[in-house]
Formats: sequence, C-alpha cells, structure tokens
Amino acid sequence: MNNKMITLKFKLNGKRVTIKTEPNIRLIDLLRDKFNLTGTKEGCGVGECGACTVLMDKKAVNSCLVLAPQVKGSSIETIESLAEGELLHPLQKNFLSHGAVQCGYCTPGMVLSSYALLNANPAPSEEEIKEAIAGNLCRCTGYKQIIEAVKATAGELNKSKKKKK
Amino acid sequence: MIRPLEITLPGDLNEALSVLSKNENAGIIAGGTDVVPGLRQGSGRFENTSLLIDINRIKELKGISISKRGISIGAGETFSSIIADPVVKKELPLLVKACGTIGSMQIRNRATIAGNFVNNAPCADSVPALLAYDTLIEITSLDGKRELFLREFLKSPYKTQLKKGEIVTKIIVPIPEKEYKYDFYKLGRRRAVAISRITLALLIHMEGNLINEIRIASGAVTPIGARFSELEKFAQGKSVNEKLLKDISSGLGKNILDITGLRWSSEYKLPVVQQVFYEMLHKTIYGGSNE
Repeated sequence: MNNKMITLKFKLNGKRVTIKTEPNIRLIDLLRDKFNLTGTKEGCGVGECGACTVLMDKKAVNSCLVLAPQVKGSSIETIESLAEGELLHPLQKNFLSHGAVQCGYCTPGMVLSSYALLNANPAPSEEEIKEAIAGNLCRCTGYKQIIEAVKATAGELNKSKKKKK
Repeated sequence: MIRPLEITLPGDLNEALSVLSKNENAGIIAGGTDVVPGLRQGSGRFENTSLLIDINRIKELKGISISKRGISIGAGETFSSIIADPVVKKELPLLVKACGTIGSMQIRNRATIAGNFVNNAPCADSVPALLAYDTLIEITSLDGKRELFLREFLKSPYKTQLKKGEIVTKIIVPIPEKEYKYDFYKLGRRRAVAISRITLALLIHMEGNLINEIRIASGAVTPIGARFSELEKFAQGKSVNEKLLKDISSGLGKNILDITGLRWSSEYKLPVVQQVFYEMLHKTIYGGSNE
C-alpha cells in the first residue's frame, strides 16, 4: 500500500501551523523531524518513561503514543515554548538552581509534566507533585531535587500573583 | 516504523459506524496508549489494518450523566476526566481508586474507559472495579443498539462479544443502593506505568458485625477479570471474626487456583493474594485509610 500524504493543521507553541506529512508517524516524529523541535526526547517509545511528554490541549501526554493525524485542530506545547527568548521560565530556573538537571534527558518531559500540574493546581502538595511526575523516569537525581524545584516554583508563582493583586 | 495506513477522524457516531461497516480492514483508535505501541511493534492484531478510525471527536462517546438506571460514562471518556467527575467520585469511589492507579498522568489523560476492556487484556485495571459494580455496556452498530453485562462481554483472554461493525458506546454503572466500603489493590513491578500482576477489588456492606453483602473481583491474576459469586454467597450473612476473614481469603486463593490451574507463578502469587486480601478485608471492615 502506498502512503498517502496528508495536510495537517494545528496550533504549535501558540502559532497556527500547516504541515504535509505521511499519516503513519507519531507526534514525537512530527515535532522532531518536521518542525526540528528536538527538545522533545524519545526514551522508551512505549509510554513508560515520559521523556517525550508534551502538552496537548493543556494536558500532559506522551507524544510517542499519539499518531500525527490525531493532533488535527488541537493545541500542542513543547519545551521550546516555555522560555521567552533568553528569559527562562521559573520552572526551568528552579530546576537549574535546585540541581534537578543532571544528564538532562528527562528534563523537558519532567518540566512539562510539572508545568501542566502548576497550571491546573497552583499549590500542589508533595503527594500531588509525585503523582504528576510518576510517569517521568529520572535515573540521575533521585527525584528529590526535582520535587524541591517544583515546590519552589509553586511558591514563587503564588507570591508574584499575590503581589499583582 | 508504523505500517502505512490511513486515519480518518469522523465527527459523529453514524459516520464512524458507516466507515467501519464499509471497510473490512478498519480498526478503531481512541487514546492510542495501547494501539500505537502495538502498531509500532508490528503486532499481529493489526496485520490487516489499513484504516484507523479515530473516535476522539465523536460527541456521542463523551459525557458522564446520571439517570434512574445509573451513571452513564461515554466510552471515549478518559480516566483523568472520570476520576475528576464529582458524581463518579461520590457514587463510585472504588472505580475512582482503581482508575487512579492506571499508567501515569500522561496515560490517564489519553486512555479511555472502553479502550481498557475492549481488547480484554487480563491486566486491565478498571475491570475488577467495573465487575464489582455489575457494569452494563452499550454497543452500537448501524443496525441499532444492544446492551449486555461487562461480565458477559468479556469472553476469554483477548476475546469479547464485540462483532464486526460494532462500537462500544457507553458503560452504565448502576448506582450502589447501599453505602459500601471498598478497597482496590494493585501489584505491579513499580507503582506507576507498570503492567499489573495482581489486582483485587472489594465492595462490602456491613450491618453491625454481619456481612450483609460482599462483592469480590480480580484481574491480572486470573486469565480475564472475574467475580467470585460462590465465595460471596459463602460470606454473606456471616458474622465477622478472624477465622471468617481467613476462610474468605484462603477461599479466594483456592478459587483463583481452580480457574488458572497450577502455574509457575502460583507458588508466589497465591500466598500474596491470600495475605493481601486478608489485609484488605481487615482494613475495610475495621477502618483505616483507603489510600
């Protein structure tokens, strides 16, 4: 069977995009190979390690478990959307300052799982943080520094919100 | 590599059903958490599949509502939305606990309730809870709708009553008439994203020291999700003491052994099942945390 190309429209990191693609690739392949967004990493390829986590309509998903045509019309956010130019997102800053990044391979997914959590729940408990990142494996840090970084970010974001009020 | 195939994204159920009935080699994809790894590994399940019907945009498959018959959950509802639903939380806490153990946040955000049982994998974590609640499922084809109990739908490992041209459209969970106490146990190699080795579900209604009603279901440790009605009958109406709890627990082990036959893993799994179920009974009857 020959592979018919399809035209796919969706929102990627806030911008409307249109791309021609084969239908039998995954979201992670689309992001890395067609859009050159290589911040999204492939680890296990079967949804167990979370390295490929991206946000789909604001929810954390494994981009290795989504077929490219399934993103039609939805909004995808990758790690590349978090920093504003040189200015890191508070989560990224805190991951660095808390030693939550060692080899760095799990970091994009870990940050995005935490980002999805904080968007939905600005003041998570430690248990809720653990639950949110349970699908992201890290073989370097032992997780403690990551949990600390997420807690610190939640604290900062809530403080700055109160100030604005 | 994923084999060449087309994907269609119908907007309503009729369109999906007519595509399904017209294409001999069409398959269904919802959350994709099981289908996509299967496709990539070249699983035999998809060897003839040339068209995938994505059912995520079909509104008839979404929504959670309450009626006289029970709580209807659209087949395409994700575990994340089921767990967060206030009605489900209040009426079906055992289901919430079981669904909360599935995969990871990323998996629960995509995986759907019908997707969990429609391939009848023994390790489906929502199945023991759904069996304990006597869940009905609704199946739709171009010819109309039919309903059957989930326990009838699940025939044998990886085989169900689903026929060609049919889609599971919703599940209906009767609202429990009593205030059941409940517990769910899952054993995997680690807490998140692990295939279950043993799952056990328990609903129990006590009247003073008497077991008024008890429902027991298992998954993963049995070839398909199972209820243990004889054991339930044995326990019903009896007054609780240590010996009874031990008898029920060892009875469960014997029942499971009768179903599975002696396997290489029995020596390990059976004592675990018996001990864990004893602890579940104890904790559920005498109190303690359900978390």
